[in-house]
Amino acid sequence: MPCERKPMRYGHSEGHTEVCFDDSGKYIVTCGNDGDVRIWEGLDDDEPKFITVGEKAYSLALKNNKLVTASSNNTVQIHTFPDGDPDGILTRFTTNATHVTFNSSGSRVAAGSSDFMVKVVEVSDSSQQKTLRGHEAPVLSVTFDPKDDFLASASCDGSVVVWNIKEQSQLISLPLLQKTNDISNAKSLCRLAWQPVTAKLLAVPVESKVQLYERGSWDHVSTLSDDLLTQLINVVVWSPCGKFLAAGSVGGSLTVWDVNSKLCVERQKHEKGFTVCDLAWHPSGSQIAYTDTEGCLGLLDGLRTSTSNTTNTATKAAGTKPGKDYDALFDDDDDDRVMDEGLSDTNSPVKKPVTGDDEDDDDFLMPATGRVRNRVAILDDENSLDTGSLKLGQDKFGDDDDTGSGIVPAAAPLVPLRPAYEGPMPTLPQKAFQPGSTPAHLTHRFMIWNSVGIVRDYNDDQDNAIDVEFHDTAVHHAMHLTNTLGHTVADLSQEAVLLACPGTDELASKLQCLHFSSWDTNKEWMVDLPQGEDVRALCLGQGWAAVATSALMIRIFSIGGVQKEIFSLPGNVVCMVAHGEQLLIVYHRAPGFDGEQALGVQLLQFGRRKRQLIHGEPLPLSHRSYLSWFGFTAEGTPSYVDSEGVVRMLNRSVGNTWTPVCNTRETCKSKSDHYWVVGIHENPQQLRCIPCKGSRYPPTLPRPAVAILPFKLPLCQTSTEKGQMEEQFCRSVLFSNHFSFLSSSGYEIDEDAQSQSQKNQQELLMKMFALSCKLEREFRCVELAELMTQNVVTLAIRYASRSRRMALAQRLSEIALEKANLIQEEMPEEEEEQDYSSVRRPSGSGQSEAAQGRQSSRRYQEEEEEQEEEQREEEEGQEMEMDEASETKKRMNPFAKDAVSPVKITLTPTNKVGRANPFKVLGSGKPSSASSQPRVTNILDNMTASRKLSPLSGPAGKQNKNPVLKPLAPRPKTKTQSTLLQMSGTKASNKKTQVNTLPAADTHKQPEAPPPASPADNTENKRPKTGFQFWLEENRKSITADHPDHEETDIIKEAMGRFRTLSTEERLSWTERAKNGDTADLKKRKRAEGGAEGAETEKGQAEADENSAKKKKSLDPSSKLSAFAFNKN
Amino acid sequence: MDASEVEFLAEKETVKIIPNFSLDKIYLIGGDLGPFNPGLPVDVPVWLALNLKQRQKCRIVPPAWMDVDKLEEMRDLERKEDTFTPVPSPYYMELTKLLLNYASDNIPKADEIRTLVKDIWDTRIAKLRLSADSFISQLEAHAKLDNLTLMEINTIRAFLLDSLNCMYKLRSNQQPGSSKGQFTDF
Repeated sequence: MPCERKPMRYGHSEGHTEVCFDDSGKYIVTCGNDGDVRIWEGLDDDEPKFITVGEKAYSLALKNNKLVTASSNNTVQIHTFPDGDPDGILTRFTTNATHVTFNSSGSRVAAGSSDFMVKVVEVSDSSQQKTLRGHEAPVLSVTFDPKDDFLASASCDGSVVVWNIKEQSQLISLPLLQKTNDISNAKSLCRLAWQPVTAKLLAVPVESKVQLYERGSWDHVSTLSDDLLTQLINVVVWSPCGKFLAAGSVGGSLTVWDVNSKLCVERQKHEKGFTVCDLAWHPSGSQIAYTDTEGCLGLLDGLRTSTSNTTNTATKAAGTKPGKDYDALFDDDDDDRVMDEGLSDTNSPVKKPVTGDDEDDDDFLMPATGRVRNRVAILDDENSLDTGSLKLGQDKFGDDDDTGSGIVPAAAPLVPLRPAYEGPMPTLPQKAFQPGSTPAHLTHRFMIWNSVGIVRDYNDDQDNAIDVEFHDTAVHHAMHLTNTLGHTVADLSQEAVLLACPGTDELASKLQCLHFSSWDTNKEWMVDLPQGEDVRALCLGQGWAAVATSALMIRIFSIGGVQKEIFSLPGNVVCMVAHGEQLLIVYHRAPGFDGEQALGVQLLQFGRRKRQLIHGEPLPLSHRSYLSWFGFTAEGTPSYVDSEGVVRMLNRSVGNTWTPVCNTRETCKSKSDHYWVVGIHENPQQLRCIPCKGSRYPPTLPRPAVAILPFKLPLCQTSTEKGQMEEQFCRSVLFSNHFSFLSSSGYEIDEDAQSQSQKNQQELLMKMFALSCKLEREFRCVELAELMTQNVVTLAIRYASRSRRMALAQRLSEIALEKANLIQEEMPEEEEEQDYSSVRRPSGSGQSEAAQGRQSSRRYQEEEEEQEEEQREEEEGQEMEMDEASETKKRMNPFAKDAVSPVKITLTPTNKVGRANPFKVLGSGKPSSASSQPRVTNILDNMTASRKLSPLSGPAGKQNKNPVLKPLAPRPKTKTQSTLLQMSGTKASNKKTQVNTLPAADTHKQPEAPPPASPADNTENKRPKTGFQFWLEENRKSITADHPDHEETDIIKEAMGRFRTLSTEERLSWTERAKNGDTADLKKRKRAEGGAEGAETEKGQAEADENSAKKKKSLDPSSKLSAFAFNKN
Repeated sequence: MDASEVEFLAEKETVKIIPNFSLDKIYLIGGDLGPFNPGLPVDVPVWLALNLKQRQKCRIVPPAWMDVDKLEEMRDLERKEDTFTPVPSPYYMELTKLLLNYASDNIPKADEIRTLVKDIWDTRIAKLRLSADSFISQLEAHAKLDNLTLMEINTIRAFLLDSLNCMYKLRSNQQPGSSKGQFTDF
């Protein structure tokens, strides 16, 4: 009895929902919590007729074109069917009726109510009522004896009572059920059913079994059960022929028994495991409609029960049934079952549990005949996992055998159907979807809603059209396309619209790209996929498009239509998203079990060096949920949402793990409300989504409005102050990860925002520190101090000493010392790096090609060291500072690399050539506070540090040379603001950043931090002398004479312009001079600077307000510390 | 005060718009506006919203109360009560007028909303007239009216003040032997 489970569809709002067929079987009629009765012409009917019967409809019955409903106004009403005109009130109760039913002829209606009564009313004359009193609790269900003599009812008092209708008396009361006080508390609805036609048996669902009672004697004659059915049965119905009994359970199982043989012939599971609350058997017996407590309607099709008496020849065998089911689970496209038997058999649950128990079970259950061939089939099944070749023939044999037997239930040994397998069941793998789209069966739907725009699909009777609309009309104007090809999936980027349609028998699956940003006249291209290959998912990156197909392939096209790459995917694709150069693919790793999905994720990076960042690792999802959205944040961090509403984001700093950042369901008011996510921004932290009342996705009209949700990491005890601050800190750290990622992959970053977030983090740390101090948690204080930058530690020390925690202050000062030492180590090394490089500079700048070669070899090393992004960032910042003048220019126009290249070429080798020189470290005077002990370790530290550092110049160089140095789309800010004022502003903040991130150059650079110190001087001080600088020194006077009103930066700019106009020979000679005169000069300079330092510091301090003072603390920390230590002693 | 002045004041109310352009925060005397991100709702004053709308730079999101169901409820309540009921916005009439005139395509069921707001307005003005009438006829010295909007006060002000002045004049002249009456004889 093979059957097909159709996908569920939304019918009513959440709550108890009932279903029945009309007499002809043409319509499915449902009623639900929303008070509507819907008349569906089939499961695919998208616009069912509906009749509103009240605020809520509790139950319905339909016969002879009369529709009887129990509604919330405590009445039982009649409506005509299918017109839906009210036809009077049949009866009333003091509370609502719980179940109504017709008798077999349709002349009477029985209704059970929460007021403990059962009424039997003549339909033609509602005054003729019989009331059956005797239940002591609300009535759960009622059923008529088909011969109209008796009526059975079940009640919350735990009894099942058979009444004599005429005498209105109880014939027998069976205490079978659990007692409860109300329907809403009842575990099971206990819908009784009387066998039609013969009226011999009364079926009573008792826990997970169905007990059959004989009419007349009221004896318990048999029990129907199924090993796989462990939940309570909610509802039972007889097939119209009376030979089969279907049961729906609380856990969503649907089971059909052959009553004569007492064998289970059909077993299905609700696709989401919701409680089945009503079942109805089609009059022809070939379909069962069922509803669940979430208001959804489902259908099992292709049951072959009514035809069971006629012998059936070339039909599908009962034996293949489970195979087919599971085959359908695994691959819904395979129609050719016979060809596919090998696969289906291995998937069938019959085979899976290859245990002795099963065999026993089978034997036990095998009817008396014990057919040998079947046995062979079973044995074969057991071996089938390893004997592939033999299996096919054998199975067919067995199947043929079952064809006959499955139909004649009495003789049928439905043995292969008894999968005594009680392990986890595989879940239906979720279908491929396009993130940001609404389901394809809707006539008006969103094909995609992303950060660029919206693509809508209208699929009416009249026309089939696609509307493309851009959020930002500056990208492109809106487009309206006729959808002649029947496109079902779409993606939209700043450059193009990508559409694809599935293939049909004649036509291949097509991919269409509207490349509207193309500068030539051809704005469109189309590609046919090979026959039999369908597009499942697609996405658009920057300059490329990717398509995942049913042949487990990923095809990469350029945006202009060139086929670039093709590779295979380990499993069926679920979805695919792209951002810039990154491509992320989610696919099915394996079948999931017990409602879980087993998804894998791959993250690839294209661009100059193609590589895979995430190698098919499992994707964590909430329990029993599926993926509902996947995408990149605007900053390029992958993130996703599962059906439970949990938003997770890739945490690149903890080895590409996934961190939950928000649970959208927490903000939902009602259980059925959802948020439909359309985008995520990390800076500012925004989760953009559309609130959907009572559904998972929004309708196209009225136009939904985007709402913004905040993020909240699910840390412990976020109600406490401590928890809150920890949450804020973790979130801030997590959401600033993208800065390092962006800069490492060559994008420009918003330095303002970065320094802001770092400032926030340090402030939070300080607050947490203060809180722990207050709570007398000194150990915790120290832990927190370890996270702080050196400047903040000094603040913390002051705080601790002021609050009289000397022990703490002592420990903190040790930490501060350590940090300071670290700085000290890095600083001389830096200096020496400079010295070193300045000596070698001429060769470096002269042979920039060689430098590049070295650099590229370094890049490979650097790839490995992903953990050190932070340091890389520091390095980056350092370099930024070093060529400030050029840097600002670069920020203004990232493409004009040529303008700045001379400076850069000389600079990049600077860091690169730098190698640790332990002797130099010792030589350069160490502050007295540092004891000799750390100094020894310093050398070692130094070496490792330098090793770490040296490859880091790779990315810096890369950044400069990277051809894809394009600004990300949503980043107009830095571009638009390029005034001088702004430049100095960013510079100042830039420096602030460094104070935080880069304690390395701290003492050295501090004095420069306050704005008065001219940036040009700084650059000069730190940067080893170049030929340009020598030239500048010589020519400064003439420049200042020419432009007396110019500031330092302008002078430098001017000078650079002039220097560039010099001939190559002249420049070379200056470089030569730089090489010779450099070292001595630098040393002199440093000494002079030391003197100036104090004065400048004072000035800076005076100027800085409270807040910036914290950041810009410019005293040498170690000397301060020593002073502190001294005081204490 | 002129009705147009009241309308001018109403334009300071904020309304949500969905811009279709990108712009950084703009700093105005009245406060900072933005940043504007395409597709993301942002609160702006009505004057700016209408300006942007007319230039087809945004879609206006109608305020929450501008909804047929809510207005119907409000209208019924207004009709049921003898006193003035609280209104959804102190500038409900002006906002409805402005938004429906310039952005009716962004507001679902614009016509129904227009009718409903007009109904509410009419009911309230009728109440106002009635109370003015009883105020005068009962020769009260003062009366308290809650939940009146500026526009409503404005419509009745000119009439009420003038008529009260006239009444006062008439009454003070009526009394024989009053000093004022004699004074005029001079």
